[in-house]
Amino acid sequence: TLTLTSLIILTLPITTTLLQNNKTNCFLYTTKTAVTYAFAISLIPTLLFVQSNQEAYISNWHWMTIYTLKLSLSFKLDFFSLTFMPIALFITWSIMEFSLWYMHSDPHINRFFKYLLLFLITMLILVSANNLLQLFMGWEGVGIMSFLLISWWHGRTDANTAALQAMLYNRIGDMGFIMMMAWFIIHLNSWEFQQIFLTNPKNTTLPLLGLLLASAGKSAQFGLHPWLPSAMEGPTPVSALLHSSTMVMAGVFTLIRFYPLMENNLTIQTLTLCLGAITTLFTAICALTQNDIKKIIALSTSSQLGLMMVTIGINQPHLAFIHMCTHAFFKAMLFLSSGSIIHNLNNEQDIRKMGGLYKTMPITSTAITIGSLALTGMPFLTGFYSKDPIIETANMSYINTWALLITLIAVSMTASYSTRIIFFALLGQPRYPSLTQINENNPYLVNPIKRLILGSIFMGFFISMNTIPHTTPQMTMPPHLKFMALAVTLLGFTVATELNNMTHNLMFKQPSRMHTFSTTLGYYPITTHRILPYLSLTMSQNLATTIMDSIWLEKMIPKNLTTMQKTAASLVSNQKGLMKLYFLSFLLSITLGLLIAL
Amino acid sequence: MPYIYINIILAFVISLIGTLIYRSHLISSLLCLEGMILSLFTLNALLSLNINFTLSTIVPLILLVFAACEAAVGLALLIIISNTYGLDYVQNLNLLQC
Repeated sequence: TLTLTSLIILTLPITTTLLQNNKTNCFLYTTKTAVTYAFAISLIPTLLFVQSNQEAYISNWHWMTIYTLKLSLSFKLDFFSLTFMPIALFITWSIMEFSLWYMHSDPHINRFFKYLLLFLITMLILVSANNLLQLFMGWEGVGIMSFLLISWWHGRTDANTAALQAMLYNRIGDMGFIMMMAWFIIHLNSWEFQQIFLTNPKNTTLPLLGLLLASAGKSAQFGLHPWLPSAMEGPTPVSALLHSSTMVMAGVFTLIRFYPLMENNLTIQTLTLCLGAITTLFTAICALTQNDIKKIIALSTSSQLGLMMVTIGINQPHLAFIHMCTHAFFKAMLFLSSGSIIHNLNNEQDIRKMGGLYKTMPITSTAITIGSLALTGMPFLTGFYSKDPIIETANMSYINTWALLITLIAVSMTASYSTRIIFFALLGQPRYPSLTQINENNPYLVNPIKRLILGSIFMGFFISMNTIPHTTPQMTMPPHLKFMALAVTLLGFTVATELNNMTHNLMFKQPSRMHTFSTTLGYYPITTHRILPYLSLTMSQNLATTIMDSIWLEKMIPKNLTTMQKTAASLVSNQKGLMKLYFLSFLLSITLGLLIAL
Repeated sequence: MPYIYINIILAFVISLIGTLIYRSHLISSLLCLEGMILSLFTLNALLSLNINFTLSTIVPLILLVFAACEAAVGLALLIIISNTYGLDYVQNLNLLQC
């Protein structure tokens, strides 16, 4: 039963793509209902797993055999994939319904839905893959779909450069992935997870480094992060689907998949921890002073991803996974409500030009408030069930104190920038032109947001009650550590509220150095995006033109010879060039000599 | 000494004086240089024919080869001077010293 149901889930959306009735209007509705039914069907294996705790893997179609390596189409249905698939399908269902309202006036909306569907299919392939080749196919698939979807409005140069940035940074990560695949096939002769975990090799630093690079590229960790804020050039449904809940989770998901190997390798754990800590602090600093609402939410996603990396670094992959699932809900909801604000304010994305929306858009402002509270880990909402255990476990484990402090500072900054969004977008007096019509009555807008609100409130409870913990959580700790997460969050809230209230009375002076550091995303995109191409272009110019043509053929022998001779001659000679004098003296001496001799 | 040798030696001496004494153009010096070579060539040819010393009939040919190279070098110098100064006046040669 598990086998049939999971295969049906994957094929339902595919058949919708293959029917290719793009010209009709009902393509959109059939797609949406296909995803809805896929979600409903995918709940069946999940509930079976919850009841029986039996993992399964399906290996049906034998593709090819390369000498001793057997490649086949195999799906792994364990705790991670069975929990993540319904969540991904649920969020995609909500986003497709939302984009029926958001992209209503777009002439190519059929193509948009096709791209969203292709993205969903490749994401499901990634999640359910049992061997590395299938995972790689899903990995590349989500990369390509991200490229196509970010550059949806491809007439705009910023969108094209953002899509290129996404593609290039993902490619750098892919190199790490391929190195990992190569190591596994050379040393272990298999790409199947079961064989890799059984043989449990002892010197796994090199492939796990490759895996870390791949996750850093896909999940926008520090060093490979600029593509995520730039990817906000795509339409809001794209940002909600790709860059908040699913695609950027692919990197973290693959890291979580490899947890049996990472348990034994402390170097990689430390590296993951430090990378995650740097990411979460850096992106939280950058999110504090951004003015574009979508960029703030994107940097917030990046910060939460850093937090997940920190969790993996302290050897708690299951907590990271639960945080991933709950984060998907409230982040998608934040994006959808920001999309609703943007569309209703006639495409205004700058929070300095919004205000006073809590009276005119009640559902959206409720969504933003609940989402922000869940994000910051308000007790008994969703985020609490995942974020609080992470902070507690981090406090009680033998980790780098520096990484821990940085993570705590980033958690308080999470509260600060969420307050900033709420303050500027919802509270206060309206700062937008008064003729815009604000209308929330469309059911396609309201229903997805309502569903995601319910999910944000209750899912944390459901997931943590229905899963069996794989590691024992920390039960006892000193009270000041227990309240640490709550305390830093409240600190962030109060500081942000104070500062935001002060902005009513301040005159705007020159921005300080810290402010420009934060607004320009830490100067990172400005420096690296120019330096790296410049270095490679000058190197290639030197190799191709300068060395061969200019130096060897022209300057080495001919020109050098002339300059050498000229300098030598002018140095040595002390003649003055009085030709006629020299010739006359020559003639005179010859005649005198002849006369004397004769 | 036969009269014809004196004639040709006189032609040589006149060309030599013309090489060493010239007014303004450098090219007149080069022209007289060519005259010197011409007279030398004729002298050599006549000498080896009149004395019937057949082994030395190659000497005028070799002289001609070297004369061609030398004329080329002289013309190259003329062109460099002409490129730098525009004319080949001799007064120019000590103006801009490098």
